[in-house]
Amino acid sequence: MNQFTKKTKPSKDGAGTGRKESPWVAGLIFKMGLIMFIIFAAFFARVHLNDKTEQLAREKSRISAQIEEKNTEIQALNIQIANLQRWDNINAKIRQYKLALHAANPNQVFYVKRYTGQTEFEMPTHFGSDTRVADAAGAQQQPAERIH
Amino acid sequence: MTLFRSMTIRMALVYILLICGFGFVAHTLYGVQILRHEELLGKAQSTYTTRIETHGRRGEIFDCEGSLLVGNMPTMDIVGDPANIYILNKKDEEKTKAECRRIADFFGQNCENADSEEIFNRLMRRTVTVTNPDGTVRKQDCHYVVIATGVEYETAKKLKQKVEELSIRGIAFTNSYRRKYPKDTMLANILGLTNVSYDKFVPVQGIERSLNDAMTATSGSKVYERARNGRSVTFANSKSEPTLDGYDIYLTIREPLQAIVEEELDIMCERVKPHAAWAILVDPTTGDVLAAAQRPTFNPNDRSTMTPESSANRLSELALEPGSIMKPFVISYALDKGFVTPGTIVDCEQGVWKYAGRLLHDTHNVGKVPVTEIIKQSSNIGTAKVSVMMGQKNLDTALRSFGFGQKTGIQLKPETSGIFRPLEKWDSLSVSRFCIGQGIAVSPLQLVRAYCMIANGGYKVNLRIVDRIERGDDVRVMPIIREETSIFANPTTKKMITDMMIGVTEAGGTCTEAAIEGFHVAGKTGTAQKVIDGAYSNRYYASFVGFVPAEDPKFVLLVTCDDPTVGSRYGGSASGPAFKAIAERTLKYMHVQPQLSKEEWLAERAAAQKALHERKVREDAIVQARREERDRQLKAEQAKEAAKRSGSTVASRPSANQKSSTVRR
Repeated sequence: MNQFTKKTKPSKDGAGTGRKESPWVAGLIFKMGLIMFIIFAAFFARVHLNDKTEQLAREKSRISAQIEEKNTEIQALNIQIANLQRWDNINAKIRQYKLALHAANPNQVFYVKRYTGQTEFEMPTHFGSDTRVADAAGAQQQPAERIH
Repeated sequence: MTLFRSMTIRMALVYILLICGFGFVAHTLYGVQILRHEELLGKAQSTYTTRIETHGRRGEIFDCEGSLLVGNMPTMDIVGDPANIYILNKKDEEKTKAECRRIADFFGQNCENADSEEIFNRLMRRTVTVTNPDGTVRKQDCHYVVIATGVEYETAKKLKQKVEELSIRGIAFTNSYRRKYPKDTMLANILGLTNVSYDKFVPVQGIERSLNDAMTATSGSKVYERARNGRSVTFANSKSEPTLDGYDIYLTIREPLQAIVEEELDIMCERVKPHAAWAILVDPTTGDVLAAAQRPTFNPNDRSTMTPESSANRLSELALEPGSIMKPFVISYALDKGFVTPGTIVDCEQGVWKYAGRLLHDTHNVGKVPVTEIIKQSSNIGTAKVSVMMGQKNLDTALRSFGFGQKTGIQLKPETSGIFRPLEKWDSLSVSRFCIGQGIAVSPLQLVRAYCMIANGGYKVNLRIVDRIERGDDVRVMPIIREETSIFANPTTKKMITDMMIGVTEAGGTCTEAAIEGFHVAGKTGTAQKVIDGAYSNRYYASFVGFVPAEDPKFVLLVTCDDPTVGSRYGGSASGPAFKAIAERTLKYMHVQPQLSKEEWLAERAAAQKALHERKVREDAIVQARREERDRQLKAEQAKEAAKRSGSTVASRPSANQKSSTVRR
């Protein structure tokens, strides 16, 4: 048993050296522990956050790659749409499904005036050949002037 | 003392050695850290820094309403790493060969235009020869061979998945894109095309070429420090220069109108089988080209359809003698400057007129007619006489004021300005020939622009095919360039010339085929002989140009057949029906209300027919009266001759007289 581990005898007046010194040592140990804890906590926090950041960076680049891939797919689909919207394709479909579609005659198209609060302008509205709809909408009997 | 001295010397020596040592270290540090800082830093960085070139997207081309005409098709290139395949197979020749054969067969079966034998040979290439900067040659491992390029994105994605399933290693898929023309032949000659050279687009012709600078993307770069696995280190230094995509181009073309024009042009080609044909539809107020088509054409997605004939842009590059289409410009100028009025009578010499020692012919024999009839019946002689009346200088001014000999301002390259000789180089015949479209060469675009000027009341307007260019929020609209003052000094000139041109599509005109129910159509036919090997041939450019509705034109349309081989070769018969079909459908598309009801329109046509009939009756009566007068004179002369003969002593030739009279009959 060395001097640090042996029990100190209590003095007669009840004020032993061990009792006097222990708060000081404990305080020192506590402070050192606290400082070390803070240092280690800061170190681990930094490592942990770096790791998190790295993970997020990877996630970001993965999502960026996905977005890029989706954009590429969108671009490919845009080309496909443009190809499908070709008039000869549409005409072929009209023939295939025997749809009786044809352009409206000018007298089948009516224009209604739309009030926007400040200025009035003509807006083409296609009512087909059913003039009752145009009448119900308050359209003029005579078609308004065309903007083209 | 000796010891002290020796100690001092030793100490001194140690000090000196230390100083020298530290001095050497300091010198080396100075050299490394300061003098060679940049060089060594660069060397160090090159070992852990990666620089990637990033490329933006080339601008796409759309029609006025945003329908895609030229786009960037995402594709993938498939590449192999032969050296890696060899290592992965533990440098076993037999195993490597078997693996390469498996890869080659896989891509040979699944990729279009890929030959498995060729792929196999490429994958078996273990080394490549590289030339050093000093000219020496060395061999190094081959890490890059192309297996297939431009594989469609969807196909490539499926292949990639299969490659992973089959555990094929040493193969990489890289993103790329190529120009795609989703409408195939539509507007092909205007849009043009690009080639690819070392990953860069090289414009060849059309809009792709003339607006290449705007459409080209600006390259950028990304520099970052990489980790052992090749990934970028998040906390390390990195810098990047952003890429800029090219501008998207929005044309003034409207796809539905373009489709109508192309469809009707095909029908016309089927009907008259011409050598070539074209049609242009333009808004006369703004100069916007709404549709422009030509035949033959080509498919930019399939270069095998390209020939010099099919790929040329005839609309802006071809200069041709326009023929009778030129007449309204001369007549309108003469009307405007007061040389003639619509009622001025011009003697058209019954179809043959000699001027400056050369004969000029008309297709129909026309006598004395008012100026209105010159346009209606397309009389060469009548126009030439008006032109001679105006004089050379006025004719030159007239044609130049309509923009002949100048470019139209359209954003297409190359564009011809035609052939129009300066006044000092005219000969005595020029004044009677330029006015009827001979001896002068103009492009179809110039012709349409000139007709736009008639249609809009004489305001010179530049043609426009690019409406705007856009990149994100950066939108630049191409301005409409239109002159402030009209070339017509007289405000009624437009109405006078328009009325004359309306006559062309009415009874007695040269193109009744172009009349449209409910509308007044102002137009002019042109049948121009083609010049082949420096001489006029019996091949023709048959054209019809006009604007509808005549009083408030929504568009100007030119239709031309180059050498129609079936049916009539006249402009009215060959191109007139196509004009009518396109114009009718365009009016419907634009929702233009008919000016006249069916009854009114038919009544007008009937009145014109009746007027024509009455005029013919009058002309026939005049011709009959002249013939009778001539016969009377002839008979009187014969009677005089007979009287002379009966008085003469020679009476032995009655049979000869009888014979000659038989011959005369």
